[in-house]
Amino acid sequence: MTETTSSEWTGTIDQVILGATKEEGGTRSCSYRIGGESDLPLLGTVPAGIRQPLIAFELCDDLHAWPQIVRHYVGDVADDPAAWSALAGKEYGADLIRLYLTSTHKRGFSDFNAVGTTVADVLRATSLPIIIEGSNEPDIDSEVFQSCGEAGQGERLLLGTAEASRYRSIAAAALAYGHSVVAQSPIDINLAKQLNILLRETGLPHDRIVIDPYTGALGYGFEYTYSVMERIRFAALKGDSDLAMPMICSAFDSLNVKEVRDAEPDLRDDAAVQWEFAAALAAAVAGSEIVCVRHPKTIPLLKEALSALNSGVRRAGGESP
Amino acid sequence: MTMKALDIYKILPKKNCKECGDPTCLTFAMKLSQGKADPALCPYLDDNAKSVLGASTRPPIRLVKIGVGERNIVVGEEFVFFRHEKTFVHQPGILFRVEDTQPEDEIRRIVREVKNETFTRVGIDLRIDGVAIGNTSGSPEAFGKAVEIVESEADLPLVLKAASVAALDAALVHCGSYAPLIHAGDPGNVPEFAQRALKHGCPIAVRPKEFSGLAALIKQCTDAGVQDIVIDLVPADLGDFLAKSTRVRKEALARTAPEYAYPVFLETRDLGKADAGTYLGILKFASVIVTDPLSPAQKRAALTLRQNIYTDPQKPIQMTPGIYRVGNPTKDSPLLMTVNFSLTYFTLQGYLEATRIPCYLLLVDTEGLSVLTAVASGKLSEMLVRDSLKKFDVENLVSHRDLIIPGYASPLSGRIEDATGWHVLVGPRDAAEIGDYLDNLGKQ
Repeated sequence: MTETTSSEWTGTIDQVILGATKEEGGTRSCSYRIGGESDLPLLGTVPAGIRQPLIAFELCDDLHAWPQIVRHYVGDVADDPAAWSALAGKEYGADLIRLYLTSTHKRGFSDFNAVGTTVADVLRATSLPIIIEGSNEPDIDSEVFQSCGEAGQGERLLLGTAEASRYRSIAAAALAYGHSVVAQSPIDINLAKQLNILLRETGLPHDRIVIDPYTGALGYGFEYTYSVMERIRFAALKGDSDLAMPMICSAFDSLNVKEVRDAEPDLRDDAAVQWEFAAALAAAVAGSEIVCVRHPKTIPLLKEALSALNSGVRRAGGESP
Repeated sequence: MTMKALDIYKILPKKNCKECGDPTCLTFAMKLSQGKADPALCPYLDDNAKSVLGASTRPPIRLVKIGVGERNIVVGEEFVFFRHEKTFVHQPGILFRVEDTQPEDEIRRIVREVKNETFTRVGIDLRIDGVAIGNTSGSPEAFGKAVEIVESEADLPLVLKAASVAALDAALVHCGSYAPLIHAGDPGNVPEFAQRALKHGCPIAVRPKEFSGLAALIKQCTDAGVQDIVIDLVPADLGDFLAKSTRVRKEALARTAPEYAYPVFLETRDLGKADAGTYLGILKFASVIVTDPLSPAQKRAALTLRQNIYTDPQKPIQMTPGIYRVGNPTKDSPLLMTVNFSLTYFTLQGYLEATRIPCYLLLVDTEGLSVLTAVASGKLSEMLVRDSLKKFDVENLVSHRDLIIPGYASPLSGRIEDATGWHVLVGPRDAAEIGDYLDNLGKQ
């Protein structure tokens, strides 16, 4: 074991719990505890019971703007978010499901009951803990987050995405139904801190916030996010408690980039997988406790790499990862 | 410990003789304190000053060169732990591995791939840097033959993965004067390997049995007069490499342990995975990465990641301001305006090409600032747009007077109309939506 010099750090990352088992008041087959680091990412000692980085598989309830390569690879199951979620857990091997309610992005969307039904269906279809990404339109946020918050009551969902310009509806739903919140700021450490303070002022405790630094795809600004994540984690370890939250990173545009679109047809899946694999691995190294992918084939590669990366992390109490 | 410039000045001869190349002893002292000059440049240092300065003014990580051709690899002389502290300087060399047991045409194919294949991103050509040759056969003759084949194909930086002194000698016959990296001086052979490195002026990699044996091997090399050393951390897996390379970089920068003041060598085979190993090496301080040949997808991702991580955070890559064409636009084609930050341009260009709608793109000179920061700082103004339209003679390029501006520049729309007389249309904030936007525009 190689010792790193960790004496310079004074801060510890907050622990956030995702998902609730039957004993914990939910219906999930497991729950995850993330955060708890007091050293650089994937080094040093973390408290017992921590499991990270986690791999979230991203899917949606309306494929309109989803990368075509995903639809092409997964087939018709992509039309049914519940069945797709079940597959993501059982066959793809994801740790978490991140469901984007893209149906709400349609102009004039108003079928808020359908949102609740979709969330309930997905919760029935998979037993994994779940991240729900709601609307991106402030006018309907309140109804959408109320509806999915209620449908997931007791399940300790992670709800997204709060931004500085719109965070009240989502914080209200998280507070009312016991969920946590994804707090996204545009690749800026100061704005990340500011949003965390705003969320705290709504009454949302620190240990129910996950920072999303916003992520450009590899080759399309990814290095800005990489460095902002390193800066956020550095500040947190130096003692800034307003930045001491776990992070989530999704290089969501990876499968749309020119390098993937223009790849030779028989190499396109490979190009997509490596493009998001490299970014997800880098995000984990920069401190992301949750990394998100959209191509099912990325998951096994990432799982193996993250497991090997964890070999240097000690668990308090000697528990193995 | 690092010394302050004035403390260094006190022990310099203060002759201002200029023989070091600097105008005064004080300016030389300032360079020494930043690790940017070598104390040996001063011919008048006494022994005490030499030993004090030798320990405190050398660069935190030694500069090492591999190869002598146009495609040589230069690594080391890094000054930071996080790239945001300043920048990473010398990107790692990535070398594809061949074996002396492989058929000749297979070796030739891999060498040609390294030599010829270029992947262009953001206007910059990205390449794999060199070839490592493994003495898998154990036979000196086979190794010498393989090196000869590689040398006959290309003038590339090489890593010689030799198993014995005899094999190394057989290889150096063919490439000894081209500064290949010798891998590796180990506890069994380091006196002989170091002697060869000295004789041929080659850099050498040292590989102990255990990480803790590094210092002893390095000392054997330096005692033999070899300074150009890279260190193999004998990592057991990805996590072990991360822990060791983190420690090495920290101690090198803190100048606490002289054995860590060298660039790090990584062979991805030690980590089990060529793709993940290469990505981690790029991210976390590897300077020479030897890997089995990567697939096209892995190669492109690795080269792009390396480009990202080694971009200077304070110097955004800029495009030359002017008119850029997407497809074959005519006088009626749409005209879009944006900033000359290369990332903005290439992102937008990618999406514009996907729309298959020919158009003109006017890049105005914001000195590489993004739209958001250029608007906030005032760098992007109605005057700049007006002057750019004039400078690039846009009036004669299109027959219409509609200018599409980025969504984040919408606060300027009125002022741009007033200053230019053009009709301003506010486009989307996100380049990904430009296709839908232009489609809708066409329908109106």
